[in-house]
Amino acid sequence: MRGLVVAFVSVLLLAPRAASAQTVPQLTVQVDQDTVGVGDVVTLEMTAQSGDAMPSDPRPGATPGFVVRGQNASPTQTHIAINGVRIDRFGLTVDWALQAQRVGTFAVGPASVVVGGVRYAARAPLTLHVVPAGQAPHRAPPQAQPQQGFDPFGAFSPFDAWKGLIQGFQGQQQDDQQPPAPSITTDPKLALAAPRGAYYFLHATVDKTSVVVGEQVTFSVYEYIDAGAMSIQVDDEDVHDATAADFVKHPLLRDDQDALLSGYAQIAGRTWIVKLVRRWALFPLRAGDLTIGPMSVSLLRPRTQMGAKRATETLRVHVTEPPVAGRPPGYALGDVGHFALTAQVSPNAVDQGGAVGVHVELSGTGNVPSAITTPAREGVEWLAPEVHDNLGAIGHDTYGGKRTFDYVVRLERAGDVDLGELAVPFWDPEQKRYDVARATLGAVHVAPSGAAPTASADPVEETLPGLPPPRDALEGMRAPRAHPDDSLVFWLLGVGAWPMAFGLAVGGRAAGRRVAGAWRSRKTSPAAELRERVAAAEAACQGNDPRAADAAVMRALEAASVAHAGVSVRGAIGDEVVDRLAGAGVARDAAMRLAELLRECEAARFAPDAADVVAARDRWIRAQGVLRQLAKGG
Amino acid sequence: MARRRLLPACVCLVFALLAPALARADGDAARLFAQGTKALHDGRAADAIGAFEALADRGVVDPVASYDRGLAYAMRVRIGAEVPGDLGRAAQGFAEARDLSRDPGLVDDASRALALVRSEVARRRTRAGEPVEVDPGRSLARTVAGLLGEDTWSVLAAVSSALLALGLFVRWLSGAARVRVGGAIAAGVTAPVLAVATTMTLAARHDRLTLREAIVVSADARPSDERGITVPGATPLPEAARVEVLDTHDAQSRVRFGKIAAWVPSADLRPLARAD
Repeated sequence: MRGLVVAFVSVLLLAPRAASAQTVPQLTVQVDQDTVGVGDVVTLEMTAQSGDAMPSDPRPGATPGFVVRGQNASPTQTHIAINGVRIDRFGLTVDWALQAQRVGTFAVGPASVVVGGVRYAARAPLTLHVVPAGQAPHRAPPQAQPQQGFDPFGAFSPFDAWKGLIQGFQGQQQDDQQPPAPSITTDPKLALAAPRGAYYFLHATVDKTSVVVGEQVTFSVYEYIDAGAMSIQVDDEDVHDATAADFVKHPLLRDDQDALLSGYAQIAGRTWIVKLVRRWALFPLRAGDLTIGPMSVSLLRPRTQMGAKRATETLRVHVTEPPVAGRPPGYALGDVGHFALTAQVSPNAVDQGGAVGVHVELSGTGNVPSAITTPAREGVEWLAPEVHDNLGAIGHDTYGGKRTFDYVVRLERAGDVDLGELAVPFWDPEQKRYDVARATLGAVHVAPSGAAPTASADPVEETLPGLPPPRDALEGMRAPRAHPDDSLVFWLLGVGAWPMAFGLAVGGRAAGRRVAGAWRSRKTSPAAELRERVAAAEAACQGNDPRAADAAVMRALEAASVAHAGVSVRGAIGDEVVDRLAGAGVARDAAMRLAELLRECEAARFAPDAADVVAARDRWIRAQGVLRQLAKGG
Repeated sequence: MARRRLLPACVCLVFALLAPALARADGDAARLFAQGTKALHDGRAADAIGAFEALADRGVVDPVASYDRGLAYAMRVRIGAEVPGDLGRAAQGFAEARDLSRDPGLVDDASRALALVRSEVARRRTRAGEPVEVDPGRSLARTVAGLLGEDTWSVLAAVSSALLALGLFVRWLSGAARVRVGGAIAAGVTAPVLAVATTMTLAARHDRLTLREAIVVSADARPSDERGITVPGATPLPEAARVEVLDTHDAQSRVRFGKIAAWVPSADLRPLARAD
């Protein structure tokens, strides 16, 4: 398409019957391009001309698929007298900037205008085609209007009643002046490390991740549309908004507002159209790490992605309480922002028992408090206020406005009653300090009335009678002290030691007895005796008394027979020794050797000749062999 | 040597840096208390409440501050400017003052004021046709444990332990029959005393370390389950009632009030400070 495109020309009007007395105005409606890409702006121009009255209140009509971004109106008046005949012409040229929002074919209009109190509309709407971004035909340059600089009649000339209506001719003259296609400028701030989905995805952000209770967090959800993709469609019936249960939520975009084009982003080598679909002011209700759940949608197109889910990130906001230091009295947690307070009291004089009105206006940005603490005083009764809100988005990303409270205050006491002061302490997150919005109410003169409370026939029952008086000096807090039962020493020594000592004494005594008994029994055992006898025999053989040595060897052998075989051979005669030992399980060879040694020792002890110590030692050596054999069991 | 000098210097420096802040905090608290008491005397209940609440926000725990705070809330009720929850908050101030104070006069005043507030709550509940029991009292075990102080119970346990051991030794070691009988009697008497005193010491210590109590500061604290769904047919816990906080989860607290154990919104409770 070249040059300016005259998409629709209409001078046929829907003139109501009531308007038949006046000249029908001429309406021209046109667009500069009938095929645009998503995000492109198309200019809808309506020119209305009338000889009777100035056209007014122009409206573009329905704009499905487009968002009206701006309007520019240029009225003109021409009065010409030719041969005594006066000709009046009133013209109004209006341009609307329409931004394409989604792919499709849309009927825009019909545009309309009011002339002489009657609204005239074009016969039919314009048909516009919206294609994916970047696929629209190259846009023609804005139509130059060189005549306007030189033509004293401007866009409309009485000598050329059709000028401007057949503008295609001028467009034809500029065929060869078409500029290169406009390049898309991407915004690095909208870029992401990687796309969160093919063709289409959602991305959520918050402006702050660490705030205090009641401080605004601006939550935004952007949709990213692949500029090169065709026919992307989201299932409108499967859109789930983000959840933010721990926040008070206020939308900053109108409910009926279409997604706003935020710009273009370059992600992973592709160009994405970025639109703002949600923007909320969130006010945290409590401290902690609070979660904002994801927003999700389902895709209908492209068909390959049908049913595919796209969701935003789950975001977390760290919320703390504002500092305690410097916190003004009466501060309510959550009152965060910047507020101003004004108040008006009327009338300033009233009879006793009468009432005055107090109009309070609390305005500002942030979490505007929903209630004000009234200065409660005896004899002054503040009734529940009537509250009106005028709150909403201020600018792009701030929530605030005005809240009014209309109180009725009854005054029960005569005299000049000081109503006191209204105060709203708040935390200013920008200044990082507390501030107080104040409004002094002043005094009201209350004239005494004969019908004052004393005349009441129904005495009011006093609430909480007999309260004790206040105290004026702090008592002081007891310093934390240690308790004895917190110590293990207390339980071990203080409580447990005495019974434990008794238990130890009794147990120790019993144990001692048992040990002593065991010691005694161990001391008189055959094994112990054997060890004693062996030691004695060893000692005797070291000496020079062979008879004593033989006697000791005999006792050692006898002890060994008791210790190892359990049988005593003392007093046994002849073969009786062997029989006893063999009967006790001792090997016959060992028993015979033991018996032989006993006989030799016996004989040596009582031999009349002088004894030989060397022989005695030899017998002891042989006796040790027998002892070892017995110890081995055999 | 240099290190030895450096340490005291650092301590002095830290103290010098902190001292003005500590002094400022003390001065701030004193100023707020003075503001509150002046507003209380002037009949400006809202201003007094603001000052005493700011004092509490700064972590000041004092029986007189609690008592005056309770009076400020009670005053707002009395002058007809009551805000929902004022009676409960008044009761909380008085109960806290009674628990914390060592001044018998203040304990008496706080107890009297608490009784007045609870009477008012009971009167309102009677009009509403709701159960009027505001203070079901403590359990028997807790009442017995509260008869004596924790330290007294612990000293009694230690003494009875020593006497028990002495009696046992005497009975065991003595040769004289009379002395043995005396030792047996002493041991027989002190053994149960030791058991009771030890149990009560442990119970009192457990309460000191784990028991958390609060006052209901809402007339609409309806018992609910853990999910926050109101128990069908349950009447709200009485405002100004003292409850034991068993558990806290998110914005819900599980409390015991008499035989009732249920969840209520934490915002409907105000905890009681403890002496230690």
